[in-house]
Amino acid sequence: MYKTFLLLIICCMLYFISGCDKGIEPEPEKSPESEIIGFRGKVTFTGNWPAGITRTHIVVFKNEIKSVDDFSFQNLAFVVDSIPYKSQEFIYNSVMNNFFSFTLADGTYKYIVVAQSKTPSISLNRDDWFIVGVYYNNGDKSKPGTMTLQKGKITTGIDVNVDFNNPPPQPPK
Amino acid sequence: MKKFLIALMLISSVYNFAQTSSIKGKVITDKNEILEGVNVIVVGTQYGAASMRNGSFEIRNIPYGEYTLEVSMIGFAKKNLSISFDSETKPLIIVLTEEAIQTEQIIVSASKYEQKVQDLTVSTAIISSDFISRNNFLTFDDMLRKVPGVQMNLEQPSIRGSSGYSKGTGARVLVAVNGIPIYSGDTGEIVWELIPTADIERVEIIKGPASSLYGSTAIGGVINILTRSNVKNSITHFRSYIGMYDKPAYDFWKWDDAMRNFYGLEITHSGTAEKLGYTFSFKKFDNMSYRQNDYAKRYLGYMKLNYDINLQDRLTFFADYLNMNRGNFLYWKDSRNALVPKDEDNGNTVESNRFLTGLIYHHYFSKDFYAELKSSFYYTKFDGRGIELTTSTANLFRNELLTNIILSNNVVLTSGIEASYSKISSNIFQSPKFFGAGVYSQIEFKGITNLIASIGLRYDYMKLDSLNNANAVTPKLGFNYKAAKDFILRASFGTGFRAPTPSEVFNTTTVTGGFKIIGNTNLSAETSMSVEAGCNYQPDKLFSLDVSAYLTNYNNYIEPNLTKNAEIQFINVPKARIEGIEVGSNFYLVPDLVSVNLGYNFMWARNLSNDKFLKYRPQHSFNSQVRITPFPFDIGIDFRYMSRIDEIDDLITQPPIALVVDGDKRVPIYVTDLSFGYNFLMESVPAKIYLNAKNIFNYNYVEFIGNIAPIRNYSVSLELFF
Repeated sequence: MYKTFLLLIICCMLYFISGCDKGIEPEPEKSPESEIIGFRGKVTFTGNWPAGITRTHIVVFKNEIKSVDDFSFQNLAFVVDSIPYKSQEFIYNSVMNNFFSFTLADGTYKYIVVAQSKTPSISLNRDDWFIVGVYYNNGDKSKPGTMTLQKGKITTGIDVNVDFNNPPPQPPK
Repeated sequence: MKKFLIALMLISSVYNFAQTSSIKGKVITDKNEILEGVNVIVVGTQYGAASMRNGSFEIRNIPYGEYTLEVSMIGFAKKNLSISFDSETKPLIIVLTEEAIQTEQIIVSASKYEQKVQDLTVSTAIISSDFISRNNFLTFDDMLRKVPGVQMNLEQPSIRGSSGYSKGTGARVLVAVNGIPIYSGDTGEIVWELIPTADIERVEIIKGPASSLYGSTAIGGVINILTRSNVKNSITHFRSYIGMYDKPAYDFWKWDDAMRNFYGLEITHSGTAEKLGYTFSFKKFDNMSYRQNDYAKRYLGYMKLNYDINLQDRLTFFADYLNMNRGNFLYWKDSRNALVPKDEDNGNTVESNRFLTGLIYHHYFSKDFYAELKSSFYYTKFDGRGIELTTSTANLFRNELLTNIILSNNVVLTSGIEASYSKISSNIFQSPKFFGAGVYSQIEFKGITNLIASIGLRYDYMKLDSLNNANAVTPKLGFNYKAAKDFILRASFGTGFRAPTPSEVFNTTTVTGGFKIIGNTNLSAETSMSVEAGCNYQPDKLFSLDVSAYLTNYNNYIEPNLTKNAEIQFINVPKARIEGIEVGSNFYLVPDLVSVNLGYNFMWARNLSNDKFLKYRPQHSFNSQVRITPFPFDIGIDFRYMSRIDEIDDLITQPPIALVVDGDKRVPIYVTDLSFGYNFLMESVPAKIYLNAKNIFNYNYVEFIGNIAPIRNYSVSLELFF
């Protein structure tokens, strides 16, 4: 009798353990506005464009590039569409100009640059890139500026000035 | 005249030599009770019989001579009888006595020679054909989910955490049919649908490295599938099932108003004509699936021929062909569209054809010396249609010579040599060639009372196309000590290795989201060193308890990785360690009526390079099976639990890539299945009908990111034997 009772207890346990929840639950439906995360701004160019440039991008890294290993996909957060050659001004919006179909997360990003390359196809080799402009907070050029993104908001004013005659310090190669 | 007499004598002697008759007899107990189902085998030959309902047996076509008969049955002491068989021999009366130890006399051959399961030095699980029939598994891998210590990550098996998940590329568990491996020549994957489930006698699972016998791929263990022997009378087995998936747990997951069903039809005929035993089988099994673009349409044809050339020689030939067309569901769109693939993957398909054939020649040189020559050929071809057309054709040839020599009453020597060659033609694997060869030897020693010691060594040579050749030496050592009549201790040390597969080294393709897989010609073979200690307590046939602790260290573990250039590449993880404890128990709550199987596994799997968990390894898993069998009914309740996976591929689930939206959603696994069976006669034909309800609480879980496991489904199956 006690064995049958034990079996019943096991069955009840199974029922309660298994039946109490449905496992994976879908994310609640969200309005597109509440989910939006992005940034926008303007890039201005001073001086003459170098010859042979094949691509110019605004690139957002999670952290500053302190060694060549930081110039990696793991540290990369976002790439804006390529800026047309010999542009004098480029107005962008990360929602509209998402080059890699990246998803941005809320948080702080510590290195935003304009980088140029002469390679025919895009590469993540450090040697293939030259930094021509860096984003600074409030004109403080002593260190790269940071950008903080929040859910439901487009952060504005991420402006970069590119002076081909006075390039910024280059990250390690 | 003299010549004529000599010729006559010669003819007469030849005639006498060729004369055959039947060894007949009856098996009873020492209490004069008739015994049915006793195995009587002529040692050193292919011949044998089982005693019938009246205890009698008959072994036909035996030439006159001196023989040893081996008589065995579960629960009785095995008996060896020496007989001189001639025309004067009378029917034998064989008396068996009940054995004090009521242990299961299950014979396993996963160690490449036959031994009793309680003599093994490593943890092993045995699955019977009855278990497969009762649960209506749609494919073979479904069954493995119910084995303690075995985990399935989608279609990829992992024994005690040996594998994570790498989309079918490379296996760390060797799956073999009658000892012939069935991994494909290009990706090294196992195609479970190819396995002829209707012809399975039993499945043996070695939990732990077995490279010292089986070479590469067996680094995590071995699943050896044994097919049935010849049947005395011809029999046709018909099996059909039909089932349907229930509604998804959330209304907005429903993507199709039509009923999503699955069905299968299988007919197998086996028989014997003189010395030829044969089995032919045809199976069609389709599954519409509960997910969009996840359908599968499959045909399987299978044949096996056993030809007893004479007492000492037998040939076994088998051929297996599978045609499969399926959708290619990679990841869900997101958690609100969990049963629908990403837009860019919707419509992806894979068509594949696979043909496996093998020839096994068995020869007894004497009752103490047995040899087996196995040759196999495995052709695989697939065409994947998605972002780009991917195609691969592989031809894998394999030969193995195996010998078993009983050197004395206490020493058995198992040795072998094998070689394999594969040629690949593919637009994604660079069409490489592979050659591998191995030589192995193992000695089992029983010279010390109650102790069995086993020592083995294997050497392998591998050459993958233009890469440098690689060598591996894999020793093993094992002990089994019967400390008491009902208590066995075992300990083993084993080593393993796995050569990288052509797909891991040469793969160059684009997967979903535009991500590229790139090759890695610097990939090294991975190696492992493993220790296990365990004990088994079985006081009677109503209760058994098995406990084991294990530890495996891996070097150069091969795992997929995202490079700094955002490409997927297989790399060597320098060091990883998996340790754990497994406990299993079988007992009867009510003798011959209610049986319970329980299994629990605790696992601690760490990547020592970054001090994180290895991906896709649960810490806790638990299985239970309760079976209630008031004849003619057969009721089963199965429950499976697995703790939440600690580590997954974060890089593809997190921003900025976020290839799998909501891909980090994972939960502990709780799955409960029910089965209800009824045995009956249909117009005097034995029949079984089973109703199965799987995942009865419709619990939603993933085994791999972005892939909801089967939702609640119901099926009915019918089996007829005529």
